[in-house]
Amino acid sequence: MTAAPFRKRRPSDLERAQARAGYLFVLPTSVLYLTFVLAPVTLTIILSFSFYDPMLGSRWVGLENYTRFFSDPRSLQIFWNTLRFTFFAVTFNVSVGLLLAVALNRAMPAWLLYFFRLAFFLPVMIAIAFAAIVWSYFLANDLGVANYYLRLFGLPGVPWLTDSSVAMTSIIIVDVWKNTGFFMIIFIAALQGVPKSLMEAAAMDGTPAWRRFFRITLPYISPVVFFAIVYASIGALQVYESIVILTQGGPGDATRSLSILIVEQGFGSFQIGYAAAISVVMTLIILAITALQQILSRKWVHQ
Amino acid sequence: MSGAFQTQAARRGIDWAIILVVGILAIGMLLPFLWLFSMSFRPVSQAYQLPPSFLPPSLDPANYKAVLASRVPFLRIYANSLLIACLVTVGQLVTCTLAAFAFSRLRFRGRDTLFFILLIGLMFPAQVTILPIYLGYARVGLTNQPVGLALMYLTSSFGVFLMRQFMLSQPKALEEAALMDGAGYFKIFRRISLPQLRPALSALGIITFTQTWNYYFQARILLGREESMTLPVAMDVLRGYLGSGNLSLVMAAMSMSVLPVVLLFLFAQKFVIEGITMSGIKN
Repeated sequence: MTAAPFRKRRPSDLERAQARAGYLFVLPTSVLYLTFVLAPVTLTIILSFSFYDPMLGSRWVGLENYTRFFSDPRSLQIFWNTLRFTFFAVTFNVSVGLLLAVALNRAMPAWLLYFFRLAFFLPVMIAIAFAAIVWSYFLANDLGVANYYLRLFGLPGVPWLTDSSVAMTSIIIVDVWKNTGFFMIIFIAALQGVPKSLMEAAAMDGTPAWRRFFRITLPYISPVVFFAIVYASIGALQVYESIVILTQGGPGDATRSLSILIVEQGFGSFQIGYAAAISVVMTLIILAITALQQILSRKWVHQ
Repeated sequence: MSGAFQTQAARRGIDWAIILVVGILAIGMLLPFLWLFSMSFRPVSQAYQLPPSFLPPSLDPANYKAVLASRVPFLRIYANSLLIACLVTVGQLVTCTLAAFAFSRLRFRGRDTLFFILLIGLMFPAQVTILPIYLGYARVGLTNQPVGLALMYLTSSFGVFLMRQFMLSQPKALEEAALMDGAGYFKIFRRISLPQLRPALSALGIITFTQTWNYYFQARILLGREESMTLPVAMDVLRGYLGSGNLSLVMAAMSMSVLPVVLLFLFAQKFVIEGITMSGIKN
């Protein structure tokens, strides 16, 4: 400090006033963020290495909660359910959204576009809890709307929510109905950014439409596709209310997800350390997916 | 000549065929809403009638009255939802805009690091924060208090990010001129920046209100007692109380519950869509 070769330039009054204002402006957000995000996350990580009980006290148990999670066949099945759900929900949400966007990216009257946006985006705005209740009646076995129409066409009814081999598919269908409109909207905006001249030139050369899509459109909007995949994955990994309402995790554990397990363990059986470990695993997957996206998009996207 | 004309006509034909298919799909997307709405006006005796009908037979509000008269404190629950959603919306508009102003307009040490730390928050699900928050709330008596849920969300990484994106795309000339004239930063923020931010504020406001209105996971854990519940959680409970045979009542309650969000979307579709594209595209 005393023998510093360069004395730091003293900040001017203006700069100091600016810095002071800056800290003041970020203060509310910083305090709230620290209290309700950073501190709880840190505590959850600490809890995940402990046995904690509000009555019995707590003790450090090392990796025990984690080894329990990765060695219990039940939690592994639930982990697998969640990953499977995430894979299919993300795939269909993003690809159906993209397909719809391509379909709607053409000249049409303004009122028609308004209607389409309304129809596909309304489910996004509604709580999945509300939507799932309506769907539970749609998908009921005997009095359900879906089975009524199947039978009308002479097909057998499907046990949508009560058969362990179908239930997960039903949950995914409801999820795509609910969320694909969000991705459609994002992709419509992205498609409008694809230079028209490029597409027209390729069309003049006689490049078929599907080829134009894969050679020009898709590379051009790839950053948005990456964003969509990551965003969809983060959401899908947390899947909770649609399953709670439609199947309560059943039949058996066929549709139980990590979030349901966290609530069940943390708030039902008061295995708080164990629940914390599960939520840390979930967060680590989210971080890994995001990091992967960053790496991949740096490699591919910008060329 | 005629060949080119034909392909053009053919292309228009394909366009309309595609629009037709998407149109049928779009109507399919809306069927659950129509069903729910029509059901809410149907007497219980017709609730399970098949084939299903997607139009209300009459506009008799009997089911709506029955919900309000039932032993579930529906209005109280509705008020809880409104209170939480309004507090969070106003809170986020204030805190996120203030922070975004600092991150986009002011220079101070640690600014970029702070912003990066804030952005990481986008990746923490409620699942990883809820246990300590619940334990803390239990200690200070904030469980079963609607305000407790609102407190958790008075700021958001998404909101700061969205507002900052928007501010970065706005010209700074006016603000700089005001600074030269000796105006303080808070005055510049309030008088010059804020009026320019109206579209972004609307977008963030609507997105936040909707999101908060729809919270389920957090609400179910923190607000378990009936008189402190919010609508999404209560609907599940209502279904148990009234639902045994009385589908129509549940659907009437549901129609009332989705109303604010549907209205918001019908009248402010533009802002919602702009907000979402803004955050998605420029990521």
